[in-house]
Amino acid sequence: MGKVKIKKKETRIDMTAMSDVTVLLLTFFMLTSTFLQKEPVQVITPPSVSEKKVPDSKLMSVLVAQDGKVYLELLGTKDSTLKSEDLREAVLKKAVAKYNATHTNKVNLTAKHVEAFRKSNAFGVPISNMTKWLDMPVDERDKALKTAGIPIEENFDLTRPTEFQIWVQAVYDALEDAGAADDMKKGTGIAIKADAGTPYERVQVVMNNLQTIKMNKFSLMTALKKEE
Amino acid sequence: MAKKELSRQKKFDTRIDFTPMVDMNMLLITFFMLCTTMIKSQTLSVALPTNEKVEQQDQEQAKQSEALTIIVDGGLKKATVEGKEIMMSDLDKSKFYYYDGQADLAAPNMKESNMKGTGDGTLRYIFRERNKAAIDLIDKEKERWRKGEISEDEYNEKRAKIQDDSNLKRPVVMIKPTKQASYADVVAVLDEMQINNISRWRIETLSAADSTLLKGLGVDLSTRK
Repeated sequence: MGKVKIKKKETRIDMTAMSDVTVLLLTFFMLTSTFLQKEPVQVITPPSVSEKKVPDSKLMSVLVAQDGKVYLELLGTKDSTLKSEDLREAVLKKAVAKYNATHTNKVNLTAKHVEAFRKSNAFGVPISNMTKWLDMPVDERDKALKTAGIPIEENFDLTRPTEFQIWVQAVYDALEDAGAADDMKKGTGIAIKADAGTPYERVQVVMNNLQTIKMNKFSLMTALKKEE
Repeated sequence: MAKKELSRQKKFDTRIDFTPMVDMNMLLITFFMLCTTMIKSQTLSVALPTNEKVEQQDQEQAKQSEALTIIVDGGLKKATVEGKEIMMSDLDKSKFYYYDGQADLAAPNMKESNMKGTGDGTLRYIFRERNKAAIDLIDKEKERWRKGEISEDEYNEKRAKIQDDSNLKRPVVMIKPTKQASYADVVAVLDEMQINNISRWRIETLSAADSTLLKGLGVDLSTRK
């Protein structure tokens, strides 16, 4: 007498294959990606067909917000000769020294200030407020940045540079000291990242400032153009 | 009976349940996908003349028949967002005005066109027509590159050479943005020039003659807010 056997079906699914796939994807994402940097203002760059990529080292990006506020971001060399943090420290010291030489209200930096500045990705406050800004806790610093920006105005006088020009010159000098200023000379090391809706006048002020300190070659950051 | 009891060994399940592992991986993947960028920004190279007087000669050269002036006029207008007054741009409304050679007040030679759109009056058409000599030569090289006769590096080298060939009739583009032009408008013009292999251009400010011509087309810059 043959009993009718009911096959018991296994309800659990084997997750091994699924796990394989996810680990693979995870590895892919970890290896290919670079983290988004926190920026003080959101900037949407205009599109172009250019295929030149933004370099990921020895780069000074000038952020121009819609209302004309200007911020700087710095990237050091890829190897450890001049890390981004070290570059920032050198730039801060040079810029403050230059500022103190021409202004009566001197700015005195402490080791704590320098340490805080090393860690800030983007910066852009008037140098006179620098110590006050660096004393703030991190989240307040980000908030304060939104309403600040590097002071900039039309200026063709090399003897009385604007604060923006002081900063850019400091970046150049710091890179030159490390023997890494060639990209800035060629213009690939300076990238203007302006919002598409910025009135052109405001971008022109930035360009004129660069031109005055003889940095007349630079690049404009754009996004990939969508086909219409 | 007793024998059967003895032989019963507990069977261990050797398979490990991978579900929590997959859960965790998915979570990590989501994190990485949201927090990272993969697309790198592109750049347009710009080389401005130095502020010194070297460009004087250059400027005079540009006044010859090769000059093409593009006056970029955007759709920027003031708007109030969250209590703050900011400039908003409407790229679809962006316009440009252009003329060849010098501004002619006696016989107005300025024409009007829209930034967006297709057909005769577009920037691409205007640039292509003015730079035809160079583009034709570059297209020939491109065809050779496509067929595999020359390498990409060779093609790029030849292209750069043709772009800078002073024997060809090439335009010098003068870009003059008005106060209503946005950064995107100017980049759009620069982009079109790159597409059409125009290497000589400069950004200038509007002259009195330009304003007069614009007025003739019904655009009064002085009354704008």
